[in-house]
Amino acid sequence: MKKTRLAAIFAVLLLALASVAVAGCGGGGDSTSSGGGGGETSSESGGGEPLSVGSDIPYPPFEQGKPGNYTGFDIELMEAIAEKMGRKAEFQDTSFETIFRDVAQGKFEAVISAATITEEREQAVDFSNPYYLSEQAVLVKEGSDIKSLKDLDGKTVAAQQGTTGLELAKEELGGSEIRPYPEGPDAVNALKAGTVEGVIIDAPVAQNAVEKSGGVEIAEKVPTEETYGIAVAQGETELLEEINKALKEVEQEGTYKTIYEKWFHLEPPKEIESETHEAE
Amino acid sequence: MSEFFHQYFDFTVMGDHFSEVLEGFFKNLLLFAVVVLLALLWGLILALIRQLPGKKFAPLRFLTIAYIDVLRAIPILIILLLISGGIPYLEFIPKDIRIPHWFGQPDPFWYSVLGLTLVYGAYMAEVYRAGIEAVPGGQFEAARSLGMSYGKAMRHVVVPQAVTKIPAPMLNEMISLLKDTTLASVVALGEAVLVSREILAESFNSSAVILAGAMFLVITLPAARLVDVLIKRNQAKVTRGAHIEVG
Repeated sequence: MKKTRLAAIFAVLLLALASVAVAGCGGGGDSTSSGGGGGETSSESGGGEPLSVGSDIPYPPFEQGKPGNYTGFDIELMEAIAEKMGRKAEFQDTSFETIFRDVAQGKFEAVISAATITEEREQAVDFSNPYYLSEQAVLVKEGSDIKSLKDLDGKTVAAQQGTTGLELAKEELGGSEIRPYPEGPDAVNALKAGTVEGVIIDAPVAQNAVEKSGGVEIAEKVPTEETYGIAVAQGETELLEEINKALKEVEQEGTYKTIYEKWFHLEPPKEIESETHEAE
Repeated sequence: MSEFFHQYFDFTVMGDHFSEVLEGFFKNLLLFAVVVLLALLWGLILALIRQLPGKKFAPLRFLTIAYIDVLRAIPILIILLLISGGIPYLEFIPKDIRIPHWFGQPDPFWYSVLGLTLVYGAYMAEVYRAGIEAVPGGQFEAARSLGMSYGKAMRHVVVPQAVTKIPAPMLNEMISLLKDTTLASVVALGEAVLVSREILAESFNSSAVILAGAMFLVITLPAARLVDVLIKRNQAKVTRGAHIEVG
């Protein structure tokens, strides 16, 4: 009897401890997000306050790593941009489907998440000048008969929810069963496991999967003339100007090139510096 | 505040996407229907093994208890990820079973069926067990002393009484199961939540998600009321001096 009571007390204590720990983490998250809300005014002065940035992590090589130690092309670029702005980037992991709504609502000040600039998205948020030109890749199993996007028609195809890769699949592959996975790596895993025959995903992500996981290859790269931008809430013109100015500085100083080569093992395309994006 | 209502309760968005979300919800219902049949059966088997008497069956009992405890202790999400990601690699299983496309349903459907059945079998085994253990021990002893075998005593005396205590808690498990079918979105099964989140990604409006929630309410709310009715009816049966319905 006594023994069971002791065990019960112990269990309750353990649960309480766990919930306190969890509440602590939650509180931490809240404080950064409320900092994001307060950032609306502070961004005008740019006075060293942390810049809260939302990103859907993991999406290697753009964003990866563990909380408090995020890294990747987007992350390092954003850190360099924030530094130029005299602020420190603080990243929040969030889900891609809700990321634009969240930045519009002020949950964080900016979004850097390999986000393609689209008209649809521009109705919800404002984008910076493009910082990356992207292609979609058709990722297949090594030695697969599938050599192009067209070959995938009628097959089972995976993509990530809410991405342009998924839109491309829906547009081009009318006869296919298309599976939207919550995260990109889930889609690549499904390919490796053999439950899908192709994945349509951003080219660098596909390249990274080829290098890191093996057993898969890129069948075709589909140029989409897509560009990635940093998103902020509509009407945050000053913040957007600051980001654009900082991005330009980072590009001119060569920091951009260094970060690009580190993550993509490639030279950055020449157009990226001349490309200008008409913000609406 | 109006922004909130626009984001979550935009009836135009709900109307525009009603049939898509409903189609997704039918996937939930189908998944539920298949799993509930399998889990009721699997749970009963587990519960009966757990009740087997004597030293001979001790290892089997132990294994069953371990199974029930472990499966109830792991998040279903993890089990689904493990099954959908892991089973395709088991090459000793024929491909048609490893990556099943039975009855026109894709493999994520069957992985979800397997995962939910394994877990809900464990939950339902506990409901059966509670029912069996709620039958006073004297009933079993009386049956045995009348010369009934263990099996006969269980079949003719214990289980029929246990069954009357089971419906309400079992219905609760079924309500949970229906809601948990949404977890199949993680393995890319096109059920209501996945479909509505896809709409969210395209329209930047969350109303379709609320619509999906409303579809669940239509089923789960009356079911919850039914649980109450069943509990009351059962109480009436066992309360002293109550009118006892026969049959």
